[in-house]
Amino acid sequence: MTHLTSETFDANARAALTDTQLRGALRKATSLFGERRLEATKSLPNWEDLRSQARAIKDETLLHLDGYLEQFESNATQAGAQIHWARDAAEANSIVCRLARERNARLAVKSKSMATEEIHLNAALEAEGIEALETDLGEYIIQLAGETPSHIIAPAIHKTKGQIAELFVDKLGIERTSDVSKLTSTARQILRAKFGAADIGISGVNFGVAETGTILILENEGNIRLTTSLPKTHIAVMGIEKVIPSFANLEVFLKLLPRSGTGQHLTSYQSLITGTKRRPEDEGPDELHIILLDNGRSRMLARAVTRQSLACIRCGACLNACPVYQQVGGHAYGSVYPGPIGAVITPQLFGLAKAAQLPYASSLCGACREVCPVKIDIPELLLYLRAKITEGPERQEAGGGWQEEGPAKRRRLEHLAFKIWAAVMTRPRLYEWNGKLLRVFQRFIVRGGKIGKVGGVLTMIAPPLGAWTKARDLRPIDARSFRERWRETNGFGDD
Amino acid sequence: MIRADQLASDARVAILNSIRAHLAESALHEHAAEDRKSERAAENQPTSIALASSGPDVARSPVETFREKLEMVGGHCVVVRDEAEAARSLSRILAELQTTPLRARRIALSDAPSVSRLIKAAEIEVDELTTSPNAADLFGYDVGVTTAQAAIAETGTLVLESESERHRLVSLLPPVHIAIIKAEDICLTLGDALRYVRRGGQPGMSRAITFITGPSRTADIELTLTIGVHGPQELYVIVCM
Repeated sequence: MTHLTSETFDANARAALTDTQLRGALRKATSLFGERRLEATKSLPNWEDLRSQARAIKDETLLHLDGYLEQFESNATQAGAQIHWARDAAEANSIVCRLARERNARLAVKSKSMATEEIHLNAALEAEGIEALETDLGEYIIQLAGETPSHIIAPAIHKTKGQIAELFVDKLGIERTSDVSKLTSTARQILRAKFGAADIGISGVNFGVAETGTILILENEGNIRLTTSLPKTHIAVMGIEKVIPSFANLEVFLKLLPRSGTGQHLTSYQSLITGTKRRPEDEGPDELHIILLDNGRSRMLARAVTRQSLACIRCGACLNACPVYQQVGGHAYGSVYPGPIGAVITPQLFGLAKAAQLPYASSLCGACREVCPVKIDIPELLLYLRAKITEGPERQEAGGGWQEEGPAKRRRLEHLAFKIWAAVMTRPRLYEWNGKLLRVFQRFIVRGGKIGKVGGVLTMIAPPLGAWTKARDLRPIDARSFRERWRETNGFGDD
Repeated sequence: MIRADQLASDARVAILNSIRAHLAESALHEHAAEDRKSERAAENQPTSIALASSGPDVARSPVETFREKLEMVGGHCVVVRDEAEAARSLSRILAELQTTPLRARRIALSDAPSVSRLIKAAEIEVDELTTSPNAADLFGYDVGVTTAQAAIAETGTLVLESESERHRLVSLLPPVHIAIIKAEDICLTLGDALRYVRRGGQPGMSRAITFITGPSRTADIELTLTIGVHGPQELYVIVCM
């Protein structure tokens, strides 16, 4: 499979729409997750309070992020962890690779982590000759297939069990089976041997507690517990926005995250790790390295509207709720972060020019905002980013990291069209004449009382007309305008 | 050549400066300077909105709620009156497992004194009983027996603290995990459990705290729920009154 990019969302989406198997899988997954989420939220009488409280905690943290990070660093260090800071992906990867090299590591087991996907850590490790093995079942399948995740919490939902069986026969040499539990136990057996042999365990972080220096990681399978317990060295990659002030704050997030993600009241396992073991004979790794990753996050702090992107706890609820994601799936976004949240953080992390189509990949229906456990106003962000794209580099204010070339040009024509529209709409006489003119012109394209597929010259003059009528009819303008009828009847009905 | 630690401190300073600069820009832009309070301390952060406890569940006995919630997520729960009954329960569970493909012939124990006491009192025939086997050997065991330091009634969750017991791997590697817990150690809510493990502050906290709610599970293949992927596929909890 070729790797899709964010630059070509429109084309990716069109291709995805013809994939009936993918759309079936998406329908099943998004509706199931959606139903379970709704049911789980009903089990708490104070769901709305929890959302507000979570957002308040995140807002407070982000407004003092420097201080909370320093506090986290100091407390984690006190408990024996080593903190590393990485400005960007290259810096984070070079830290992990250096740590691996210094320990003569051959094999690293990994648990699912969006941050490590974001920096393409696996490729960096492989380049050093270190095997980086994904151990989450979904991620393991995807890695075997050489693909990328299509959903934040269910990375392999785009694949059928038949395709997975095929893959296992092909790559692992097992006998053909359509039994899901047999496929699962095959992966379990292979991975258990790897856990035992791994030199390094690499994980992400869901929450980092400033007050105690604790990292918390949630999961269902047990591979995170294995990754963080068995190898001698544990490396955790943590986005700087993952820090929260106090240990007590965990309650709110532990109530929101599993319910929003999978509809569980609590996932099977939570690992709360504070530094390293106290005595050498204790269980667990000898070393814990926590890499604090910026990679474009700190500049999102520059405005309240963009800052809220950093409140995201990566539950995936907005993906399931989104009518666009439901149809095209995660790969079309060409980013490790798909769906509505991906459409707003991808351009912010990697640049508007690289993801200019993503803020438009939305109907602005607001379903994402409704389900977001931390009340991120994603439609507001989408509009903000669209405005940035339309403004073009020369009109963008200083700061915020938005000085970019490229996507703006494509939107200039649209800008001009709206200017003309505004001019017509604010001048009654011009408006009336314009209506008369259009009524004359439309005679050439009205067939049987409607405007069907429009092509040729008209499409060149007004491209949206062609796009709109490709799949639907357009109603022609009435023979008499509202104003004309009003004048004729003095405002009374004329039938 | 630039030394690695020099680079590291550069990155730290650069990131913190970037955070401060962008926050300052935001404050200027949005006149939000008053939001950025001059003093930030852990004790005055917003935990103000009181969390209502989770409805009708907590009105019943914590043990009953715990059992119900644990069974809802596929765990097994037995409530017993004393240690003698707990030992009989343990024998029965192991005997039943021995008739299944899970075998239950090689048993790994944590180093908790109550676990050894219980296993001595239980009448079972097994091939091997080992306290705290090393990690490499643990892969070959059928059952792990531990205690739990606390539990959460409203979610059916066990709480394991590494400072109290050597159970991080015994509870994880064998396909069956049996945990014994005292009824008085069951907290009502998640919030209570978090306060419990946090007691005495960071210096006293366990370095590894594990919350366990039911057996290991996945739905990564066609959303088909499969129990027992990397962790135990069976979880038994014996609650001793």
